[in-house]
Amino acid sequence: MSSPETAPLHDPAAEEERQLVRTWRSPTGFPGWFLPVNQREIGKRFIVTAFGFFIAAGILALLMRVQLAHPRLEFLSPDLYNQFFTMHGVTMMFLFAIPVMEGMAIYLAPLMIGTRDMALPRLNAFGYYVFLLGGLLLYAGFAVGLAPDVGWFAYPPLAGAEYSPTLRADFYATLIAFIEVAALVAAVELVVTIFKQRAPGMSLNRMPLFVWAILVTAFMIVFAMPAVMVASMMLALDRTVGTHFFAASGAGGPVLWQHLFWFFGHPEVYIIFIPALGMVSSIVGTFARRPLFGYTALVLSLIATGFLGFGLWVHHMFTVGLPQLAMSFFTGASLLIAIPSGVQIFCWIATLWMGKPVIRTPLLFVLGFFFIFTLGGLTGVMVASVPFDQQAHDTFFLVAHFHYVLIGGSVFPLMGGLYFWWPKFTGRMMSEKMGVASFALLFIGFNVTFFPMHELGLIGMPRRVYTYVEGMGWDNLNFIATVGAAVLTLGFAVTLINAIWSWFRGREAGPNPWNGDSLEWATASPPPVYNFRHPPVVRGRWPMWENPQPEDRVTGLRPDRREVLITTVLDARPQGIAVLPGPSIWPFLLALAVCVAFGGFMIHPAFFLVGFFAAFAIVVAWHWPGEEERLPPWKERTRE
Amino acid sequence: MNGEPVDVRRLSVYHFGNQGPLYWGILGVLAIESVVFGSLIASYLYMRMGEVQWPPPGTAEPKLLLPTIYTAILLASSIPVYWGDSGIERNDARALRWGMLIGIAMALGFLALKAIEYSDIDYFWNSHAYGSIVWAISGFHALHVLSLVLKTIVIDILAWRGYFNAERRLGVTINGIYWHFVVVVWIPLYFLIYWSPRML
Amino acid sequence: MRRAAAPAALAAVVAVLLLTGCAGDQSALDPKGPQAARIARMSWLIFGFGAAILAAVTVLFLNAIRRGPGEEPRLSERGAWRFVIVAGVAVPAVILFAFLAYSARTGNIIATPPPDDALTIQAVSRQWWWEFNYKGRSPSENARTANEIYIPAGRPVRFELVALDVIHSFWIPNLHGKMDMIPGRRNTMWLQADHPGVWRGQCAEFCGLQHALMAFVVVAAPEEEFQEWLARQASEAVEPADAATRRGREVFLGSSCVLCHSVRGTLALATVGPDLTHVGSRRTLAAGTTPNTRGHLGGWIADPHGIKPGNHMPATQLPAQDLTALIAYLESLR
Repeated sequence: MSSPETAPLHDPAAEEERQLVRTWRSPTGFPGWFLPVNQREIGKRFIVTAFGFFIAAGILALLMRVQLAHPRLEFLSPDLYNQFFTMHGVTMMFLFAIPVMEGMAIYLAPLMIGTRDMALPRLNAFGYYVFLLGGLLLYAGFAVGLAPDVGWFAYPPLAGAEYSPTLRADFYATLIAFIEVAALVAAVELVVTIFKQRAPGMSLNRMPLFVWAILVTAFMIVFAMPAVMVASMMLALDRTVGTHFFAASGAGGPVLWQHLFWFFGHPEVYIIFIPALGMVSSIVGTFARRPLFGYTALVLSLIATGFLGFGLWVHHMFTVGLPQLAMSFFTGASLLIAIPSGVQIFCWIATLWMGKPVIRTPLLFVLGFFFIFTLGGLTGVMVASVPFDQQAHDTFFLVAHFHYVLIGGSVFPLMGGLYFWWPKFTGRMMSEKMGVASFALLFIGFNVTFFPMHELGLIGMPRRVYTYVEGMGWDNLNFIATVGAAVLTLGFAVTLINAIWSWFRGREAGPNPWNGDSLEWATASPPPVYNFRHPPVVRGRWPMWENPQPEDRVTGLRPDRREVLITTVLDARPQGIAVLPGPSIWPFLLALAVCVAFGGFMIHPAFFLVGFFAAFAIVVAWHWPGEEERLPPWKERTRE
Repeated sequence: MNGEPVDVRRLSVYHFGNQGPLYWGILGVLAIESVVFGSLIASYLYMRMGEVQWPPPGTAEPKLLLPTIYTAILLASSIPVYWGDSGIERNDARALRWGMLIGIAMALGFLALKAIEYSDIDYFWNSHAYGSIVWAISGFHALHVLSLVLKTIVIDILAWRGYFNAERRLGVTINGIYWHFVVVVWIPLYFLIYWSPRML
Repeated sequence: MRRAAAPAALAAVVAVLLLTGCAGDQSALDPKGPQAARIARMSWLIFGFGAAILAAVTVLFLNAIRRGPGEEPRLSERGAWRFVIVAGVAVPAVILFAFLAYSARTGNIIATPPPDDALTIQAVSRQWWWEFNYKGRSPSENARTANEIYIPAGRPVRFELVALDVIHSFWIPNLHGKMDMIPGRRNTMWLQADHPGVWRGQCAEFCGLQHALMAFVVVAAPEEEFQEWLARQASEAVEPADAATRRGREVFLGSSCVLCHSVRGTLALATVGPDLTHVGSRRTLAAGTTPNTRGHLGGWIADPHGIKPGNHMPATQLPAQDLTALIAYLESLR
């Protein structure tokens, strides 16, 4: 506790800050790496690790493009190519897109709602270790030639024991289930934090749109991910102990896998995409220099997208031979989802139209998003049509379509978000010149890479082919796409250089360099370990633009332990205090135990029980009450 | 009301009840678990629809007596657990200790009878698709009951050591919610496994 | 104005690229049958609409950020609501509903059962080749071929789709969309070629190592020519006419070939690999991978994994003379 001798009597604020730092800082040094639980630390780790996997999967994509640049090249063997495209898909979906969005959410959402940490900090750290261990294990398999080679969709019977007898498909089946644990944990965390820890006055209808987007995403994760966990565990059981869930002769059969997989797989697309919509809202409002137009319409569109996202999965199965009428229903649902997307895009355009836009790199990426995502959305409407899809399905047209949607709809806003929040992350501005150059290269490179693929698909080139024969008329378009991929790579490289350069040389940013509207801009850049000395009090939807008074703040949180304010779900009225735990080794150990359960399962089912009991023991140790907690509970928190 | 600090010095630390973050966290976990069980139920029904005869020829319809008995035991186990939970709200540590102990005994009874049932069954998970899904559902639920038992043993040890009281009972509350969930989720599974082959 | 030139030039280049590539013997945009034609017609319509919508959105957002110095915003709150409701809800709703109706109607038309006079072909897929069975009026008229089908031009053909190992997908873009072949399921589809022609079909569902090289040839022939072809395919293999081919048959029957392949009329009756009874009449080897020429045939027998790495055919080492004789024999199986 604080000793009055060392505290300068004339400056209680400085003393309080020193105390807050002592309370909230994370341990340093080697063993300290495995201990931190602070939300921004975990968020940063998620983001950096996810971008690491992004680079790995990007290199795989580049190598695949080289292989396809010319017919019958022998640059990659079919065996390697199949591993590459599977790892590319698995990495981008499970190890990049979801984690990076979670990372952004974990870093930003608590700042935006004005709290000091997330609700269940140790669980947060656990989620990160699960993600990290799962990803590393998958790449360890890759390094020894055991990367999955059955596609990220892993359709049985190809992914079954008979046609994929090696451990490769086991790496897929068990690690997917394992990695999903991380997403589920983060989803629960985020929901609880957003519901219970918003700054006083931030009722639901004043929440920033980014936070709304994260809330919708978290709910989607909760309802979508379990389906793929069940499916991949069934697949793992089919492979290891000879069950018959997906056997062709059995009652379930290969089509059951497809239903379960796509029941998750389609919402997955929106899980990646909706946080990006939140980023677009933050950027558009800030750079249009006026409040977003149509706040309510935007929120309702996000929620509608979240719901409709669950009604579309069969449109991945239009060539399976299902009844026409059923398929038409899914066509209808797939078309319907275009409307909330349209409403959002036009609300943003209206905001820009009504405002006084300043064009900076983040906004450029949003403009790129408008174009690319609209094109991807339009081809999405096309493939929602059963007859059109029967031609386009599983061809390069689909490859083009979903890269327009995922890169255009998700990566472009993410790049915009990166430029936008970089000063908050690091305290320094990225170079605007390099930002514009990077945007130009990415926009051109992206379109040159992926636009020709639409035509390639329509003139007959199937997906997931490691090569093609001469004389198909596909040579030129493939070559153009490969050249585009090089430009695209250059574009990402410029941003990477920009990031490194600005880290050391960037202009000091100050707390709110863009004049943003939400609370993450209310604290220093980068924020102190405790986020806010006095968490803010909110009086409107755009707190930073509503002449915040210095008195609008929460006082009375103790600086000598990790206290956060709990508020009511709807109106965010102060309700109580939660005391959060500090650094802990248990999350890491628990992740290891769960890793043994899932990873060992591919070798022998007994490992599952070993991991289960180890995990149980760790959970008990984790929650075993410490000395302090054995004292009589506090009625009154103040020391007076 | 502009420019007024919100002073939270007098607010108390929440450790229980539906205000605390952990309560919402456990709801999230239950939602996830529900979707997992829902996916298993949907898979069962999907498989059932793909077959003319269910269970497949050569496999008898599941017997009803033993499962019905242990289902009743499991359902009844919620009563002592509830008694224990509400006991500690009144600072009645004795109710908590004994309620948990009785609950654990009943859950173990459930598992024991289930083990007897399955030791006597003539098909395995690798016999056919029906066997796969029935073993998967039963096994997955039994794993939940097992973790319930283990968790509650820990809670009960703490209870015997006098850790819990009316203010400090978050662990008990969360454990109780999870207990009732595992009990309730068995009801649809029971009807699915034991009654649906006779009716659908 | 100069700034508009670059996009215009780009658009021109794109347009040229787009239009030159459409024709082809594996192209959905070069339809040769009624179903493919309907789908292609719908495709062009939606491409047109799509391009117009994309252009409109692009103009709108570029316009929204364009400002003269000191210029005030030009959209009022009311105007904005009107804009979002019209452009974001009303117009899309109308277009999407019309499209839904059009798409469902197209789907129903192309899926209606074929007329009674349709020819039935059973297509069997395996890793990584195709077998086609024609059912004749009597068992002696049954024909079996591999990686190449003949169909009568102007007559509907019904396909029964069977997969023996993993999921494959049957796709002849010039004639129809694809249909999956799923183990344990029986899918059917029908299509029709309006005029004689030669096209290519390819597996469209990832099916393992050599998914990329799993194609087949489709020949639509006039009815008479088709019947001739069918009768020939149903017949047993021709007897060797000279010493070289006779020697070739001996090599064939004495080698490991017979463990997998059959040549009807001989003792080779295995069904693991393609039926070779009329292999000499086929246009390609290795499921549409190389032309069926003497050189490629020899290369394929001696080193199948050089052409199609990892496929299930083992390399066969034969003395040079035997190989020559074997090639001569196989070529004679017309």
